[in-house]
Amino acid sequence: MSELHTSNKAQWWKSADVKKTAILWVILTPIIGYVGTVVQLRSIGAPASEVMASVKSLMGIFTWAAAPVAGLVAALAVTALLGDRHYGDNPPEEADHEIRNSPRAAATWVIVSTLLCLFALITGLIVLQKDAKSLLDAKAININVTGQQWVWNFDYPESDGVRSEVLYLPVNKPVVFHITSKDVKHSFWVVQMGIKMDANPGYVTETAVTPDKIGVFDIRCAELCGLLHAYMQNKVHVVSQADYDSWLKTRAALEGAA
Amino acid sequence: MTTMMNRPASAPGDASGRKPLIERLNIVTALVVGTVSAIVIWQLALHFLPQDAETASFFNREDKISLMSLIAWFVGFMTGIGALIGPFRWAFGKDLNHDENMFLAGKDQGIKRYFRYTTDHKVVGIQYLVITIIILFVGGTLAMLIRTNLGHPQGGWIHPQAYNAIVGWHGIIMIVATIIMITGPFGNFIMPIMIGARDMAFPRLNALSFWLIVAAIPPVFISFFTGGITTGWSAYNPLASQAGLGMNGYIAFICIFAISTMVAGANITTTVVKMRAKGMTWNRTPIFIYGVVASVALALPAFPVFFLSQIMSAMDRAFATSFYNSAAGGSGWLYENLFWIMGHPEVYVILIPSVAALMEMAPVFTRRPLFSFNLAIMGIAGISGLSVLVWAHHMYISGWAPLLNAPFMLTTELISIPTGMLFLVLIGTLWRGRLWMTMPLMSIFALLWNFMIGGITGIYLSDVPADAFLHGSMYVTAHFHYTLMGAGLTGALASLVYWFPKMTGRMFDKTLSWVSFWLVQIGFNVAFIGMFLVGLAGQPRRVESYASIFNKGNLITTMGAYTIMAGMLVLLHGVISSWRNGVKAPMNPWQAKTLEWTVANPVPLENFETLPVITSDPYGYGKAQS
Repeated sequence: MSELHTSNKAQWWKSADVKKTAILWVILTPIIGYVGTVVQLRSIGAPASEVMASVKSLMGIFTWAAAPVAGLVAALAVTALLGDRHYGDNPPEEADHEIRNSPRAAATWVIVSTLLCLFALITGLIVLQKDAKSLLDAKAININVTGQQWVWNFDYPESDGVRSEVLYLPVNKPVVFHITSKDVKHSFWVVQMGIKMDANPGYVTETAVTPDKIGVFDIRCAELCGLLHAYMQNKVHVVSQADYDSWLKTRAALEGAA
Repeated sequence: MTTMMNRPASAPGDASGRKPLIERLNIVTALVVGTVSAIVIWQLALHFLPQDAETASFFNREDKISLMSLIAWFVGFMTGIGALIGPFRWAFGKDLNHDENMFLAGKDQGIKRYFRYTTDHKVVGIQYLVITIIILFVGGTLAMLIRTNLGHPQGGWIHPQAYNAIVGWHGIIMIVATIIMITGPFGNFIMPIMIGARDMAFPRLNALSFWLIVAAIPPVFISFFTGGITTGWSAYNPLASQAGLGMNGYIAFICIFAISTMVAGANITTTVVKMRAKGMTWNRTPIFIYGVVASVALALPAFPVFFLSQIMSAMDRAFATSFYNSAAGGSGWLYENLFWIMGHPEVYVILIPSVAALMEMAPVFTRRPLFSFNLAIMGIAGISGLSVLVWAHHMYISGWAPLLNAPFMLTTELISIPTGMLFLVLIGTLWRGRLWMTMPLMSIFALLWNFMIGGITGIYLSDVPADAFLHGSMYVTAHFHYTLMGAGLTGALASLVYWFPKMTGRMFDKTLSWVSFWLVQIGFNVAFIGMFLVGLAGQPRRVESYASIFNKGNLITTMGAYTIMAGMLVLLHGVISSWRNGVKAPMNPWQAKTLEWTVANPVPLENFETLPVITSDPYGYGKAQS
């Protein structure tokens, strides 16, 4: 608490360990951000809807926003670890200072973490708002999804009671799913489209998506639903409007024949 | 009332030469009375309980019988261990005398006191330590079964029913083990000495809370052979009402465990509030004490809800009520709400004492004061307070209340602020310290690393749109293992090594502690980073087989899991060998400044000859340059 101490404090950025930390921080932050983003986004794979694309960009944004914090903690930890180490069965001498707090560091830390928290919240809310709006799309195709142990059934109420175990969707057309269950709780997950909603017995829940890629994607049950939960999966075929119409027609004919 | 023993308590109590009842009860009588009661009730119920009517919509005679047998086991066991002697003697106006109380405290009984209803907090602490190790061993074995099964795609050699039961069993007993792993052994053994008390506020409640856990374990073991807990640890209804008789074992286990937690919570909280040494103001109370109190105080609102949710589940099963049956007016969402109102505070019940224990060790191994003690308290209090307001983030995609998603996203993300404070305290304490390179010190670095990954992935999961993709996938499993195991268990293992000398009188073998540390930490990160990747690629949780695109990630995870197992076995070997013939520990091997290091090894029955008076906080390390 002497004058020496205060003068040190005034030029705290000049001390060697602070410089070392700053350099490490500058090096580690982009590494963490880059590795975190690339590894995660590559594992997710290509999105098949705008919803999934925004999930991916959200995760990228969050990773980059977290990288400076993780980088700082890592830089401080590495600096400490590279610093004054002692081995042996007896403790080293006590440190040559007794710093018990630093109001400035603490306040900065709390303010920055509050701002980051608000940032995460606002970014999330913007996307959430967009997802919620798509439920109200009047032009959307309505499909009833029914889970039961251990299959999914898809009803197309707007197309003469067509029913299928494999989901067919036209590309670039909004879809609203009305989801329920016959027995226990299931969870309807269209992996590459980034949507998931629980199927609850006795209730109907809703989720919406607009598939924007032609292809075959995965539907998996994401809630433990008993013996064969692992096998409760199926495919979704996203096809062109023409293919979709002809599929509906054959299905309707099939239903009529049966 | 120090050492006024007139005659040994074990001397013949009456003319007939028989030992008094209080001295004849132990774990053997408890097991016998418990088993006999269960069998008697089981047989009586089989004979006298009417058959279900052919026309009944639910058949529940078997459920009634198994629940009644489990209750009989519980009452029988607690009677047989002697839990009722104190209250009944008191009620009948013949309260225990001094010698009998000394007997209960385990005076002069050697090893036998560990198998009795002993009230000494140090005995209870050791009992908790041993039972935690046993549960972790069983839970770890189950984890290895899961990982072995998943190491091989499509070719799972465990039947799906057995696999689901193993997953549920692993989940619930690991949750219990991690809840008790700090507050049990160290909260009981160390905490009273650390605050300068002679024992807990309610020593008999302390014994009660431990023996309740012992009573709770057989039901969960038996459940494995009566259909298993095939629902995962969360036991969602209506899946649970559909499951076999094993669910009754789960229900009994949770109810008994919840009582234990409530009893321990009331006891520990009272002890800390009322029994701190003279001069130990709140500003001079060690941070570990704050962690323990926050943990058990959080359990106080959480576990009654858990208890209630299981009672309702039992009623649905046995009496065809319809709390959770939507066909008859109930709702599975009700169960989910009750479960997670317990479930989210519960993860902080596990985490907070672990972080607090490492905060306690940080100044010792860096030889400098704890950085920002007040911010540490603020962080612990902030997490505790917010944690009861975030439960529905487990239900974002349940469809229960879409309008509540945004508010719950807010409360969940706010938790990152107090969590950040805990990071600052640890990192600030490492800054300009003189690092004493020991396993507990490295555990602080390990916690920072693991908890950073666990925390950041938690932010993705707290975000509603991202959660719609990640929920129910292996990503979630990896995330909570990073927090509960990577952070929680790391702190507990460091605590074990740190307090081992005081609890056993011997040093923990240094080499073994290092070997196990690196095996566990490397194995852990390999295993769960692999699990993050398969989760991102779309593998759901709790599956016993998976598509071939997940092969590589699962193989990595399984290899990591085997490395963890190797590390944990080394640690177990370290515990056993060091306990039996480790180097005798000096009174204060770490040169620490908290009170538990001021008492001799082994710690005398009443800890302190004269109670200490506190004049400063225990972090007065370091000296200013002159």
